[in-house]
Amino acid sequence: MDPRKTLLALQPGETGLVALLEENDFISKLMALGILPNTRVKMVRKAPFGKVFYVKLDDHQIAIREAEANTVIIEEVI
Amino acid sequence: MMGNRTRPVVALLGNPNSGKSSLFNFLTGMRQKVSNFPGVTVDKKVGTLKIEDEVVTIIDFPGTYSTFPNSLDERIVTNTLTNLQDENYPDLVVYVADATQLERHLLLASQVHDLGIPMILVLNMADLLEHSATQIDIDHIASFFKCKVLSVSVREGRNTDAILDAIKESLNNKEVSTPEMLFNLDKMEQSVAEQVSAIIPCKGIYHAKLLAHHYKWLDFLSEQQKSDIEKIVLANEFVDLRGQVRETMRRFDIHEHLIKQAVRKPSSSTIGWTERIDNVVTHKVFGPILFFVVMLFVFQAIFTWAEYPMEWIEKGFAISGAWAGKMLGDNWFSDLLVNGVIAGLGGIVVFVPQIAILFFLITLLEESGYMSRVVFMFDSIMQKFGMNGRSVVSLISSGACAIPAIMATRTISDKKERLITILVSPLISCSARLPIYAVLIGFVVPNVRIGIFQAQGLVLMGLYMLGIVGVFAVSLVLKIILKSDSSSFLMLELPDYKKPLWKNVLMTVKKKVESFVIGAGKIIMAISIVLWFLASFGPGNAMQKAEEMAYNTSIEQNWDEEEMANHIASAKLEASYIGYMGKWIEPAIRPLGYDWKIGIALLTSFAAREVFVGTMATINSIGSESDEMTIREKMAAEVRPGTDIKVYNQATSLSLLVFYVFAMQCMSTLAVVRRETMSWKWPVIQFLFMGAMAYFGALLVYQLLS
Repeated sequence: MDPRKTLLALQPGETGLVALLEENDFISKLMALGILPNTRVKMVRKAPFGKVFYVKLDDHQIAIREAEANTVIIEEVI
Repeated sequence: MMGNRTRPVVALLGNPNSGKSSLFNFLTGMRQKVSNFPGVTVDKKVGTLKIEDEVVTIIDFPGTYSTFPNSLDERIVTNTLTNLQDENYPDLVVYVADATQLERHLLLASQVHDLGIPMILVLNMADLLEHSATQIDIDHIASFFKCKVLSVSVREGRNTDAILDAIKESLNNKEVSTPEMLFNLDKMEQSVAEQVSAIIPCKGIYHAKLLAHHYKWLDFLSEQQKSDIEKIVLANEFVDLRGQVRETMRRFDIHEHLIKQAVRKPSSSTIGWTERIDNVVTHKVFGPILFFVVMLFVFQAIFTWAEYPMEWIEKGFAISGAWAGKMLGDNWFSDLLVNGVIAGLGGIVVFVPQIAILFFLITLLEESGYMSRVVFMFDSIMQKFGMNGRSVVSLISSGACAIPAIMATRTISDKKERLITILVSPLISCSARLPIYAVLIGFVVPNVRIGIFQAQGLVLMGLYMLGIVGVFAVSLVLKIILKSDSSSFLMLELPDYKKPLWKNVLMTVKKKVESFVIGAGKIIMAISIVLWFLASFGPGNAMQKAEEMAYNTSIEQNWDEEEMANHIASAKLEASYIGYMGKWIEPAIRPLGYDWKIGIALLTSFAAREVFVGTMATINSIGSESDEMTIREKMAAEVRPGTDIKVYNQATSLSLLVFYVFAMQCMSTLAVVRRETMSWKWPVIQFLFMGAMAYFGALLVYQLLS
């Protein structure tokens, strides 16, 4: 089993704590949008046609693709 | 330092959705224009502001998250702020932050601070803060950034005058202070930055660090400078990405601390409006249905709201043309004025209601925050066709005009996705096609209701759908053919829903209508006059001969006066230059059901398709004596010579409609595509494949229906 748990593991309605971000081209954009270690991310819903997720952070919400969400490692599911 | 600039430059910077553009509108009012940043196709919105007797240039930069850019738009900011010689290098930055999302919005502010550029920090959305009973200690933030901090609400016009005072005060303050850096470089970074600033003049150590991060694409560096920086970077094992992560995290840590001290926010667990609205608007089932209904409403609105104003405009031009004709008598000048200038002008102004309504509704959707939800919902579908969720915004804007739509693709970071969006956008029916659709649908579709819908509205919807089908078919092909070399991103902020700012919406509508009337209007006007000439004169004495022959035939047939006049006018037109041109292409378009008159309109509308109705107006007003009939009435009444068959019968009209759905008949769009793709290759390919789709599509329709 894959011990690595990413944002994708969250079910709609669940909240996770970001542990770290994998290094990639868009990492600074993710961080600028508020996805940083130690922030809480709530999975709100999947897009009507899949592959994109609506997630909520402290005071704002963002849309993120499956591949992008897969680089966000989650520590614990709150 | 900034060369011999005559006016101080103030840059507006901030994240997307910070209310930056509203502030720009407030500061500059009507004194603004849009151009390009040098060398790139990124919109540069420039305006002037007069403070007492000093005139200041204000530049509204694209919304940006940080000095580590992910798109062309964002690069412009870093490129300008790191080039001390840049003509746009600011004397002062007015940084606009959304006060309700301060932590994230301060990232770029702290980077600007460290670049040593004087700054005023504007905390916008004070009205929303009150709503959530949040309090911000302005003085604390001011002492942290060592700059002027203002709490304002641009939306409500609250405290906005204080911004003017602050700009004035700051520009008059000549003393140079170098405040402490907020972010400290580590040892290796410090050493890299020091070496870089030894070879390139830098305004501080952070400036040098950014050069080390971005030297590869910064356009003001020479090849020699780039290779020098590269040596330093490699020798010190400076890793761009790692540096970005370290810096961003460190800055967020500092801000978190600052926010804890300066912002008091009552803890609330109530679900906000945005979340409640999104539960429906982005719902698996209701979301897409709602989108469809909204689009249907938009199209119906264009059709029904614009109907009366358009009728008034048409009648108004017909009456004033007839009046001018009577006043000036029967001579070539009067003819040029009435059938060339006034007819052409009418053909431009008549679009204004539709364009205004379309842009009004699209801007409304954009300003309220709904468009981002559309991107969220449809990204995965667009991915299947080689495009990006953002392409939806372009495709929807194409419903107004492909030109702004193609320019809007700059926010798509992936080259292939962007190219496909550019190539297929003009297949979406733009507002210039609308009058053609409206006229032709008026001929062949009865004005009846089917349930709650109008039959004409449904056919119109069908034409738009046909364009959309074209978009997906072509993009699927392009997805397979084109190669890709970069990875694509989405990561999109879904801003809280907001009531649109009417001033912003109306300003956008005004700008779009103006650019249409002036930009496209010039072409249409010129073509109208050329057309009048081509239709009024012919080679040698061909027209005279035709007139005599027609006169003789009329006498022989014992026709009444009106029939005779019509016959003569039509014979003269046939003998004119344009008649010859139309005749010359007739064999090629006969299988599509078109006669030479339609051929003339097709020829002229390759310059700009909106010319079609104008051309028909010119041709038909030349071919008829009753000036008070509107163009539409004249076209509807036209029959094939010697028969009772209407020229615009069902098969021909539908074939023509299909032709206009697909054909690339807009020089301006081709010019923009060339500019955006930096080569003639793509506009040429686009012109050819769209032309083929138009010809064979129309051929199929006519052959099936006739």
